[in-house]
Amino acid sequence: MTGIFLWTVGILAGLGFILALVLFLIAKKFKVEEDPRIDLVEKALPGANCGGCGFAGCHAFADAAVKAPNLDNNFCPVGGNDVMKKVAEILGYEVKQQTPKVAVLRCNGSCENRPRINEYDGVKSCRVKAALYAGDTLCPYGCLGCGDCVAACAFGALSLNPETGLPEVDESKCTACGACTKACPKGLIELRNKGPRSMRVYVCCSNKDKGMFTRKACKAGCIGCGKCAKVCPHGAITVENNLAYIDYTKCKLCKKCVAECPIGAIHAVNFPVLKPKTEEKKEASNE
Amino acid sequence: MSKHTFSIGGIHPQDAKFSRGCATEVLPLPPVVYVSMAQHLGAPAVPCVAPGDKVKVGTVIGEPAGFISAYVHSPVSGTVKTVAPRKDILGNNVMHVEITVEGDEWEETIDRTPDIITEIPTDRNAVLDKIKMAGVVGLGGATFPAHVKLNPAPGSKADCILINGSECEPYLTSDNRIMIERPSEIIIGAAIMQMVLGGCRCVIAIEDNKPEAIASMKAALADLGYKNMEIAVLKKKYPQGGEKQLIDAVLKRQVRSGALPISVGAVVQNVATALAVYEAVQKNKPLITNTMTITGDLLPVSGQHNYLFRIGMPLSFIAEQAGGVPEYAAKIVSGGPMMGKAVANLDASAVKGTASLLYLSKEATKRKEEGHCIRCAKCADSCPMGLEPFLINRLYKAGDLAGMEKASAQDCIECGCCQYSCPANIPLVDNLRMAKGQVMAEIKNRRNNGK
Repeated sequence: MTGIFLWTVGILAGLGFILALVLFLIAKKFKVEEDPRIDLVEKALPGANCGGCGFAGCHAFADAAVKAPNLDNNFCPVGGNDVMKKVAEILGYEVKQQTPKVAVLRCNGSCENRPRINEYDGVKSCRVKAALYAGDTLCPYGCLGCGDCVAACAFGALSLNPETGLPEVDESKCTACGACTKACPKGLIELRNKGPRSMRVYVCCSNKDKGMFTRKACKAGCIGCGKCAKVCPHGAITVENNLAYIDYTKCKLCKKCVAECPIGAIHAVNFPVLKPKTEEKKEASNE
Repeated sequence: MSKHTFSIGGIHPQDAKFSRGCATEVLPLPPVVYVSMAQHLGAPAVPCVAPGDKVKVGTVIGEPAGFISAYVHSPVSGTVKTVAPRKDILGNNVMHVEITVEGDEWEETIDRTPDIITEIPTDRNAVLDKIKMAGVVGLGGATFPAHVKLNPAPGSKADCILINGSECEPYLTSDNRIMIERPSEIIIGAAIMQMVLGGCRCVIAIEDNKPEAIASMKAALADLGYKNMEIAVLKKKYPQGGEKQLIDAVLKRQVRSGALPISVGAVVQNVATALAVYEAVQKNKPLITNTMTITGDLLPVSGQHNYLFRIGMPLSFIAEQAGGVPEYAAKIVSGGPMMGKAVANLDASAVKGTASLLYLSKEATKRKEEGHCIRCAKCADSCPMGLEPFLINRLYKAGDLAGMEKASAQDCIECGCCQYSCPANIPLVDNLRMAKGQVMAEIKNRRNNGK
């Protein structure tokens, strides 16, 4: 009885040892040589696999970053400057500091501002809705409110506000990966510089119709009057196709356009309330 | 001839052709018309008139902007008021020419006598040119320019032209009416197209739910005595009017994935297109009129109409002429209930391909809550293209582009049979349309990169 027991254990142990040896030898012979830095870089990355950098995931980015001669074309928007600094240290490259960005919705067609003229009863998907017709308001450019951007966000930074019917960006969670900009069939979401202390000025509208039609469709729509462009001392505002656009690289946050806009289509966010003007100017020059 | 139909899939929705007995009425002229420049498949026409210009009925106001494009003519006489973008029935901005109506003066070249000209011209190129200059487009739904379809690429030859009188969509009856009222003109139009394609066989296909139309067309064909032309009676089934389905039903030939009907030697044109070709070639009349149906599921018979309208008439004007939009209407559809488009803007104007104003009640049109797929395969059974809609739907949701292409999402004809037959009310056709778009874009991309 003991003999059978010993034989069994012995044969199995022997078999296990031989197979392990075979596996070890094969692994040694066919070992894929990978740059060890790829692993290090990948570990330094946030690991969200969001695709915001333009690669399939963090490993693909690390692979590309290691193979590239410099880091000019590779930047992880989620990790930002801190992570990129670490990556640069590992690889011994220089990295250009990039201004942090944030997703900005350029539509203010809330239920109140933009009356609904028909009832959409179809699939709750902006893509499907955009393929069917111009939308349930008179504005063919505005937000469709089905939340494709919310579904696309891997960081939970977007949510639909049931009161306005528009998506809202949670700045603390937004990593500027750009998934929402691709998901929006109307192209309403733009990545803009976060600005000093998150202060930003932007035109909250994407309507390219003539002013008369825009007025009919939405109370908060840009009518392309061009007053903002005239008043801007930095030449940051251009009006094209009846729509004003503020170049965030030129904007000095003076807020003159905000006061000038007759519609209130230009939004200034995160500015401190009731702050004397002199200090504001200082901040602008500090930027 | 025994009754045929296409071999796979198909559904039998309620016929609902309530307005089949309503004779075609001519609409009065509105005070102003808005003529869209995008009334056809392909590049929108370019307006060639300026505000203040005087136009007559039949004056060219839009010129084609590409190979696949078409002329647009003034449907009224009067003065051009504006040339500006305006919202179409879907709410999108499209270039429109606004014309204030003054009297009803026609271009001298247009023959307005009621005589039927039976003599068929023999100069193929002259006829094709006439069809092109008259802006004739396919009136079966897709509004594909007729002269392009009738002039197949060198190397491909048509051996049969099918005239589609199946009108398989529920509710619609305008094709039925023109087949009853103007059969000779349709048959002469078909004979002209037959000549253009080189004297091939011609089959006029009509579904068996239109006995009056069949009788009238048969009598007219016997009168005219054309050889090489026949009338095929088809068993009623939706979507018989689809090009590939009609070819299958009549000729028992299958068009390959991604290929055109001409690859199996067939050309399909609608009966209304045949009528337009007749008017263009024999009467010099451009395509400025078409017939449409005013109907609805709860509309009393007195409110149902078949109208001969001129393009550019505001839909609201047409609705007003028919007695106003009924109170029960929760949705207005232009086109049939299966493939038509919901009208988002009733101020939009009628275009060449406008087939109907269909008033649907809330009960008939409200979407039911979406359930879970139980793999009953009713969608796959009903798909006339032999696809598996439930599978493509799942692949679309997973974003599997290669899988969608493998499952032939690009062959979907968006007929809506799958969604109609789904017991779980899954919006299959909406998602399949998206899947098809993505796959088509991918195929196009690949083709461009390959070159």
